[in-house]
Amino acid sequence: MSIQEANKYHAPKPTPWTLFLRYFLPWQIFRFVIINIRMTFMILKSHGRKLKPVKKK
Amino acid sequence: MKVLVLGAGISGHTAALLLRRKLSKAHEVIVISPNARWNWIPSNIWVGVGAMTPKDVTFELAPIYQRAKIQFHQAKAMEIYPEGDKDSKSPFVMAESTVSDNQGEKIRVEYDYLINATGPKLNFAATPGLGPDQGNSVSVCTAEHAEEASHQVNALIEKMKAGEKKTFVVGTGHGLCTCEGAAFEYTFNLDFTLRHHGVRDKAKIVYLSNEAELGDFGVGGLHFRMGGFVNPSRVFAESFFVERGVDWIIGAHVEKVEPGKIFYETLDGAKDELSFDFAMLLPPFTGVPMKAFDASGGEITEKLFTPSHFMKVDADYQSKAYEDWAPDDWPKTYQSCYDNIFSIGIAFAPPHQISQPRKSKNGTPITPAPPRTGMPSAIMGRVVASSIVDMINGVSVKPTHAASMAELGAACVASAGAHPLNGSAVSMTMYPIVQDFTKYPESGRSLDYTTGEVGLSGHWIKKLLHYAFIYKAKALPFWWMIPE
Repeated sequence: MSIQEANKYHAPKPTPWTLFLRYFLPWQIFRFVIINIRMTFMILKSHGRKLKPVKKK
Repeated sequence: MKVLVLGAGISGHTAALLLRRKLSKAHEVIVISPNARWNWIPSNIWVGVGAMTPKDVTFELAPIYQRAKIQFHQAKAMEIYPEGDKDSKSPFVMAESTVSDNQGEKIRVEYDYLINATGPKLNFAATPGLGPDQGNSVSVCTAEHAEEASHQVNALIEKMKAGEKKTFVVGTGHGLCTCEGAAFEYTFNLDFTLRHHGVRDKAKIVYLSNEAELGDFGVGGLHFRMGGFVNPSRVFAESFFVERGVDWIIGAHVEKVEPGKIFYETLDGAKDELSFDFAMLLPPFTGVPMKAFDASGGEITEKLFTPSHFMKVDADYQSKAYEDWAPDDWPKTYQSCYDNIFSIGIAFAPPHQISQPRKSKNGTPITPAPPRTGMPSAIMGRVVASSIVDMINGVSVKPTHAASMAELGAACVASAGAHPLNGSAVSMTMYPIVQDFTKYPESGRSLDYTTGEVGLSGHWIKKLLHYAFIYKAKALPFWWMIPE
């Protein structure tokens, strides 16, 4: 596997509209809220689980 | 009771603060760490391009622990005596001071519960010529390493402004490295910095990685819903590399690094060389070497640690074929063979990789090691602290909290340029971290909770996390309200 030159590789490229939205402030403020909600769900799902206590016999 | 935490990184520091908060003052929390300063490692990539300084990403630990009423020894743990010795049955750890005034002075610290959170040893020695100290490459693994990288980048920017062309190589310095995400972030922050200075056209950037395909990130790649399709992260990553004009070499094991030249082997067995003016190559990790002894002084290191110095916990360490790997292989409570010893963060021994293991045609293993930094590390710190609190308070004789990486998700924000208006980052979530093909036959992960997108908002989130986690680590008012 030799070096892959980026300019000779055919990959999906973002359209000008996609590139515009990546930096368009109103859209990015909206995405900021959405991503934070999404990450909060992830955090809530990912703080482990409780196990049943085992008492000393 | 005395709870001793070895290491004050993300997992150890989280565990120590939570233990102190949840345990009554009748109990002691003690931390041993060789470093005087705490480092928010995810922001080191910004230090490495000059967008931040080491001061922005580190702070002194001693005043924080003094305020939090946690005993702190700046020392390096060397030996564990889980059964005590012939003089005393109390288990203890022998450490060596790393304070310059009494460097090497031996310290004996007894414990009732021990958390090993020593993090990684940066194993630059695994590849001849790798690393900033005795080698020919730089790293961003510590704030000081990152600052050195930034100096080199700045010097090359000046040369490029004078018309010279330069080659930058960023990636992994060995076939068994982890933290490909950090290399990805550094690649695109470097690209952003060079564009900012108007010299991107003078620079060739090459991403050199042990991943079998772009977007693997050591977790076997991800799948996202996007544009009406379920896309592998490979497509997403390739698109990003092509858009930013970054070349790549994947499936690579770096054999040695000479001044200005990297020698590497790839999965197809080919061996090649790559000339560079700047190389930021991450080292592979081992655990921090420690020895263990029983009460009679006999060495029991093999009972507690793997040969690569990671601590064995409640995982299934039987050697298995990739097809037989199961979510249940992964540890849940992080308890070792001693009921009062736990290991978290990078210090615990994973049962195997997450990405499919591969060897080159010459038999060289080229496989990303499983990442277990950041959010999962901190959550391990939380669950182990909670279990120990319950065990000390008589709630249970066994751990009461579990957090297997096959049940945890992760939120990752990979920076691709630091600027409040022109910056960007890839915001990703994945659930679970370790694929579960029984529950999610299509891709091993939930398509509802595994997501990714690029944009300026990602940069804001990364910056917000930087300030939030440093605030939390400083144990400032209401720190405990900030989740891991």
